[in-house]
Amino acid sequence: MKVLTARAAALRISLLGALLLASLLLGIAAGPSELGGGDALRALWAWDDAGAAADIVLRVRLPRVLLAAAVGAALAVAGALFQALLRNPLADPYVLGVSGGAAVGGILALSFGPALGWGAAAAPPAAFAGALVTTVVLYAVAGVRGRVSATHLLLTGVVFNAFASAGIVFIASLAGLSESTSLFLWLIGSLSAVRADAAPVVGAFLALGIGCALPLLRDLNLLALGEESAQQLGVDVGRTQRVLLLSTSLMVGAAVAVAGLIGFVGLIVPHLLRLRLGPDHRLLVPAAALGGAAFLVLCDTAARTVFGGRELPVGAITALAGGPLFLFLLRRYHLRSFAP
Amino acid sequence: MPERRPVVSALLALALLASVFARAAAAGPPRVVSLNPSLTAILLALDAEATLVGVDEYSAQLEPRVRGLPRVGGLFNPSLEAIVALAPSTVALVPSVQQRELRGRLEALGIEVLALPNISYDEVLRSIVVLGERVGHGAAARARADAIRAAWRDALERADGAVPVRAVLVLQRDPLYVVGGGSFLDEMLEAAGAENLARGFGEPYPRVSVEWLIAAAPELILDAADPAAEARAHWSQWPSLPAVASGRVDALDRQLTIPGPYLDRALAQLADRVRGAPP
Repeated sequence: MKVLTARAAALRISLLGALLLASLLLGIAAGPSELGGGDALRALWAWDDAGAAADIVLRVRLPRVLLAAAVGAALAVAGALFQALLRNPLADPYVLGVSGGAAVGGILALSFGPALGWGAAAAPPAAFAGALVTTVVLYAVAGVRGRVSATHLLLTGVVFNAFASAGIVFIASLAGLSESTSLFLWLIGSLSAVRADAAPVVGAFLALGIGCALPLLRDLNLLALGEESAQQLGVDVGRTQRVLLLSTSLMVGAAVAVAGLIGFVGLIVPHLLRLRLGPDHRLLVPAAALGGAAFLVLCDTAARTVFGGRELPVGAITALAGGPLFLFLLRRYHLRSFAP
Repeated sequence: MPERRPVVSALLALALLASVFARAAAAGPPRVVSLNPSLTAILLALDAEATLVGVDEYSAQLEPRVRGLPRVGGLFNPSLEAIVALAPSTVALVPSVQQRELRGRLEALGIEVLALPNISYDEVLRSIVVLGERVGHGAAARARADAIRAAWRDALERADGAVPVRAVLVLQRDPLYVVGGGSFLDEMLEAAGAENLARGFGEPYPRVSVEWLIAAAPELILDAADPAAEARAHWSQWPSLPAVASGRVDALDRQLTIPGPYLDRALAQLADRVRGAPP
């Protein structure tokens, strides 16, 4: 097990912070219009409220890179926590069906909302409700006497995910033509249709989720030894599981609500960081927040710029980048090295 | 192989049923199944409603007059069995990737398929005339096409000599879809005196970024997205847009963006909106 000194850990966190800052500046400097990178950064620095450069930098790019950072951080932290909770390297919000539950809620609102007079704004709260309901159902089904069996939870999540996928296909086949494009983009994950004021909301849920998890990260390290051992060392296993499940559903619900199903962030970022930083969650969780944020900002910058004025869904970029990277890591380091 | 017998028998029975229905249908008045809202709208405009025996789900959503007819599924998942059971003489559809296979299976069962592309202006006019003639309403169809051509000429005359207005036509706001090059709406914008700024994308209905639209600086934003009441508030988020600064964000009737029978009304409305913009 790799154990870092406090100074080495601080250095690595600082490096990740610098990487996030650089990716944010790149995201603000790059875009599909002919506005130069230097002009964009000058418009940011001047904070001038008038003109096309201000509209592009302050009202299009800045809210979007901040949102990408918040969503990326939420997904990566949720992935790290799920993998530790379930002691399974493949656990992430998607495998457990939490994202699927959020998607069912959002898609119900997108498909049938217009008939009830609801606009697209109804999708985020519905998705959030879907994530929370899924977590409660998972806990109720997989929990035994106030404790959650990791195996039961993983199996329940896999089954629920299949159920949610079928539900999504069923609802999508009934959806109207005008909703189908929104639905498609939402399923693959996209930040293009997000309101400018969404970033602070996701950021608040991220802070709440991380805030709930931070005091329990030492207990999470002990849980890696097994539930019985952790209990003998004084960990309230049931309470730790409940709080961490709630905090992850808060973060995943908020992320899926605004951006749809963006895959691989919760899987690839914690694994990469665990390889470099070791398994101590007191370091891994803040590092996942910074690394996940930087990863999604870079992927979304690519989605916005590679085809000029035409946009790609960022979920396609994360899958294209994350899939081969995960297979490479699997081949290079073997699955045992991934285990939390 | 015995296990294949039920499948083969079912296919033979379906083919036999279809051929019986097709012969019976060929002998009587036209029995049309429409698989596209624009084709349904054409039949209704030509007073050929009585020839319709079935429609797709989206036609039923958009046209109250056909809600009582049997429905045969959506644009992407029409039911072959539901169509065959209606014993149509003709199935009218717009050729697309999704309906290519269905077309082949219908023709294999001996059912006539009228595939009518409707991307360009000429294609829409042709679909009105061909469909009208097929259901015995040829005179009404030609009259409708003539009215559209007259509106086209009128729009050209009204725009003659004026500096083209830099415009975009928005079909959906989130995600943002606009009218690109090669579509009937692009051609009609030009006829009405506008310069379609999204023509360079080279595809009829591209998805674009808000940043592209801000940088394109349109003088006129024609917004056909729902809800129409939110059009001005939505684009006012970016005050540097010339169209916002000059109050030239106009909501457009969404029905007029359908490649259907009333392109003359669409042309007149487009010409009015473009003429209202500063030169």
